[in-house]
Amino acid sequence: MGASLPSKEANLFKLIVKSYETKQYKKGIKAADAILKKFPDHGETLSMKGLTLNCMDRKSEAYELVRLGLKNDLKSHVCWHVYGLLYRSDREYREAIKCYRNALRIDPDNIEILRDLSLLQAQMRDLAGFVETRQQLLTLKPNHRMNWIGFAVAQHLNYNGSKAVDILEAYEGTLEDDYPPDNERCEHGEMLLYKISLLEECGLTERGLQELRKKEFKIVDKLAVKEQEVSLLEKLGLFDEGEELYRKLLSMNPDNYRYYEGLQRCMGLYSANGQYSSDDIDRLEALYVSLSKLYSRSSAVKRIPLDFLCAEKFRLAAENYIQPFLTKGIPSLFSDLSSLYDHPGKAEILEQLILELEHSIKTTGGYPGRSEKEPPSTLMWILFYLAQHYDRRGQYGIALTKIDEAIEHTPTVIDLYSVKSRILKHAGDPVAAAALADEARCMDLADRYVNSECVKRMLQADQVTLAEKTAVLFTKDGEQHNNLHDMQCMWYELASGESYFRQGDLGHALKKFLAVEKHYADITEDQFDFHSYCLRKMTLRTYVEMLKFQDRLHSYSYFRKAAAGAIKCYLKLYDSPPKSSAEEDEEMSKLPPSQKKKLRQKQRKAEARAKKEAEVKEEPNATAVSKSGKRPAKPVDLDPHGEKLLQVEDPLVEATKYLKLLQKHSSDSIQTHLLSFEVNMRKQKILLALQAVKHMLRLDADNPDTHRCLIKFFHKVGSRPAPVTDAEKLISGVIEAERPTFSQLHGNSLIEANTLFLEKHRDSLRHRAAVAEMIFVTEPSRKKEAISLIEESSSDLLPQNGAPLKDCTAVHKLLGTVLDDQDAASRWKVRCAQYFPYSTYFEGSHSSAAPNSSYRQIPELSENGSPLNISSNGSVENLDALKDLVIR
Amino acid sequence: MVCIRKATVDDLLAMQECNLFCLPENYQMKYYIYHILSWPQLLYVAEDYNGKIVGYVLAKMEEESTECHGHITSLAVLRTHRKLGIATKLMTAAQNAMEQVYGSEYVSLHVRKSNKAAFNLYTGTLGYQINDMEAKYYADGEDAYDMRKQLKGKKQHHHHGHHHHHHGGGCCSADVKSDEKHGSAEAKTE
Repeated sequence: MGASLPSKEANLFKLIVKSYETKQYKKGIKAADAILKKFPDHGETLSMKGLTLNCMDRKSEAYELVRLGLKNDLKSHVCWHVYGLLYRSDREYREAIKCYRNALRIDPDNIEILRDLSLLQAQMRDLAGFVETRQQLLTLKPNHRMNWIGFAVAQHLNYNGSKAVDILEAYEGTLEDDYPPDNERCEHGEMLLYKISLLEECGLTERGLQELRKKEFKIVDKLAVKEQEVSLLEKLGLFDEGEELYRKLLSMNPDNYRYYEGLQRCMGLYSANGQYSSDDIDRLEALYVSLSKLYSRSSAVKRIPLDFLCAEKFRLAAENYIQPFLTKGIPSLFSDLSSLYDHPGKAEILEQLILELEHSIKTTGGYPGRSEKEPPSTLMWILFYLAQHYDRRGQYGIALTKIDEAIEHTPTVIDLYSVKSRILKHAGDPVAAAALADEARCMDLADRYVNSECVKRMLQADQVTLAEKTAVLFTKDGEQHNNLHDMQCMWYELASGESYFRQGDLGHALKKFLAVEKHYADITEDQFDFHSYCLRKMTLRTYVEMLKFQDRLHSYSYFRKAAAGAIKCYLKLYDSPPKSSAEEDEEMSKLPPSQKKKLRQKQRKAEARAKKEAEVKEEPNATAVSKSGKRPAKPVDLDPHGEKLLQVEDPLVEATKYLKLLQKHSSDSIQTHLLSFEVNMRKQKILLALQAVKHMLRLDADNPDTHRCLIKFFHKVGSRPAPVTDAEKLISGVIEAERPTFSQLHGNSLIEANTLFLEKHRDSLRHRAAVAEMIFVTEPSRKKEAISLIEESSSDLLPQNGAPLKDCTAVHKLLGTVLDDQDAASRWKVRCAQYFPYSTYFEGSHSSAAPNSSYRQIPELSENGSPLNISSNGSVENLDALKDLVIR
Repeated sequence: MVCIRKATVDDLLAMQECNLFCLPENYQMKYYIYHILSWPQLLYVAEDYNGKIVGYVLAKMEEESTECHGHITSLAVLRTHRKLGIATKLMTAAQNAMEQVYGSEYVSLHVRKSNKAAFNLYTGTLGYQINDMEAKYYADGEDAYDMRKQLKGKKQHHHHGHHHHHHGGGCCSADVKSDEKHGSAEAKTE
């Protein structure tokens, strides 16, 4: 490095490199300038100066200098390496790899460059390349532990576990017998555990167990040893030993349900679907009776039997389980039991059981058949349970009666208000639910949980501005709203995006959805630093687990929801593009002059405010890194309302970006293919739409959306003009060849297929609605028939009969929009208002939308509206004043 | 009621969400990843019967200081799951691992002066004592108690050889020096 320079300058060059590594950038720049004064064209110096400037946030200069340096010295591996580092810092990994490869062409054995290359290969999952680079590093420096480990991990990742084992054993062969020294014990133990898990993974189970027993004394993490051993024992079918070990593990932690499961497996008493023979149930019962004597303080031994016991035995066990928790007042009791509601018959038993307890407490003050009296709170917790029980059963009226009784009994318990809020939400009154959640919040302003829950409810009620003001009460470092984004608060951004979407504010909605998408991209990025870190730390099992986690990161539900949200925004944007500014001007010119002036003033004010905010945020000390792993403050948001996001050239191109991620990572979700159908039909990509229909049929042929897409697709292709071009003929040919493969269309016209679907699903509102819609699509003249098909639905309308509010709402929208029959829609509304008296959507008589409601509707303000005042004690003031602030 | 088990990488997103939902001190995902990749034994979660993460403990070893000791970075239990002793169980599990795996001599933590419930849990059930008071420790200006609990620590390992220089359980190696300096940002975010 710095070769061609005289010794004084060569030393200065070394200083630049050292200053860069020690982050003394100013010093580095000074040294570089000193060289450049004498040798202004020195390529490596120019490059290093550029790299240093890059760390000082002077990016464009950096690229300029680095490129100039390279141009002046194309044969320098330093210049290529630096160029690669620059790309790497901008996450342009593919470009960076190219640069490193060029550098290595000049200096093939350069350890530093090889190492940097290997990190990028790991990041990009260029596994074959990773193996190759790691092998080269080991060959060059076999005395470094890290190089052995790195090569082994590379082989493992590249699906060659047994090779990885060989490498680790060869490495062990280089160690002294008394290895490790005290300060290496953890790392060495982790390496051994990694090797054993590799043996297990490649099916060398026997050898794994031998190795474990031989090296056990060298492994510090004794719990991991036991967990590894028990897994090997099970795989080897050594169930007696496995049972013994699971019992040992249970004695160490009787609250780990996975140990109980393992114990059951070893005893031949495990069934994945929870179905057991009566003989097995007897044995299981005996097992848990004996375990409950050993671990009397663990609730697991009492809870698990509720899953396999039935009828009278279930009743007895449930009663014994529930009573102490009610006495103690455990708020999570219902949620703990809620999975039992999916078991046939158990919900009824629980209902009867708890009602008996209620009756007994109310009449005798104690549980049935007991002389001792219960504390007064027991009745309240019984009512609390019953409220949740009836909520779950869809009997919202009774649920509300029970929770009101509980609140009257003890008005100071926050949990009661939270549950009442949830019931109201389920019953269809998000506004009242938000009001109740706010009441709960105000009862303990220091508790972020009740704050978060309130924010969630406010967003469900489409009170976004209020929700934001409430949420930031807990982001105390002044950064306010940004803090939620910086801390990757995804549930909030998603719920906020969904609310904006419901309100038709696509700009804000997109902004929120894309923010979530960005978090996932950042998390993918986060792994970079750990490729080298873990080879040193030796936490290899967890490292590999982390890489696998990263590979499926985009299949997590928040990403799925955010991507689906963004795609829906783009579809809407495509269907009804925003007005151009010329159109807006035209609209403005139609306004009376007084309003025009007001509007202009408002715009100017908003602009000024945004500018001022931007200035404040640009203060230099805002970039200080705080101690808790937060990144430096980000630059100002230039598009706070997502307006620029709406100005995309082709919304469908944007939608396709996110669709591809869904198709790659969530191909088992029917929603993915429904979105693909919608996007591709609009893009006229007929064959891709066909593929989407096929995927939907594969996943769920009975889903009403599947049926819709199938009929719509063949209806659409059937009504296209005859193919003219070769491409069109080809497509028609494919569709004709494919059509017979759809069993639904076997010898049936679309109309017949629609009728068959109805016959199969006559009792379901959702299916009837889909059929009605398809009648209208295929034969618009039969619209009346379609509508009466929906209106005939009767028995299945009651909420407890499985037609939830959501479906009834969707039907109302269908009647009002696609079928476009306002009379039918209002008939439907009147009818649903009776079934759902708490629903605001249907303006039910008990809902907050009713004229005499006790819950005042809080109007939501637009971004430009006056901000709500939240006083220092956190409560929202002047709600009455706000009532008049509706923006017209 | 709840399952107490070691956290896996797949739990990290749910742990972050649990943290954001109930605590004012929050961290980016990278910080959670850093913890689990450094001390995989010290992260525990509480999982309810429906598989939802309702509590967690995030802990670490302070490896730079002379005395090897553990530190509780963050502990949270959802409000809906109080009164089940979850916090105690999580803390005990993490403390045991610090002691057993890393030979930790003591464990430290910070708690808001105003957080009476947490303070009582630490001093009462768990046996922590105030070591110091740190003024304006939190972003909003609140003071923190620096609390400590002595662990048994100093587990002797069996040796073949004849090393006489036992220094603790011996896993707090301070020399995690980077030999891949060039341009690599530090994984550690604190």
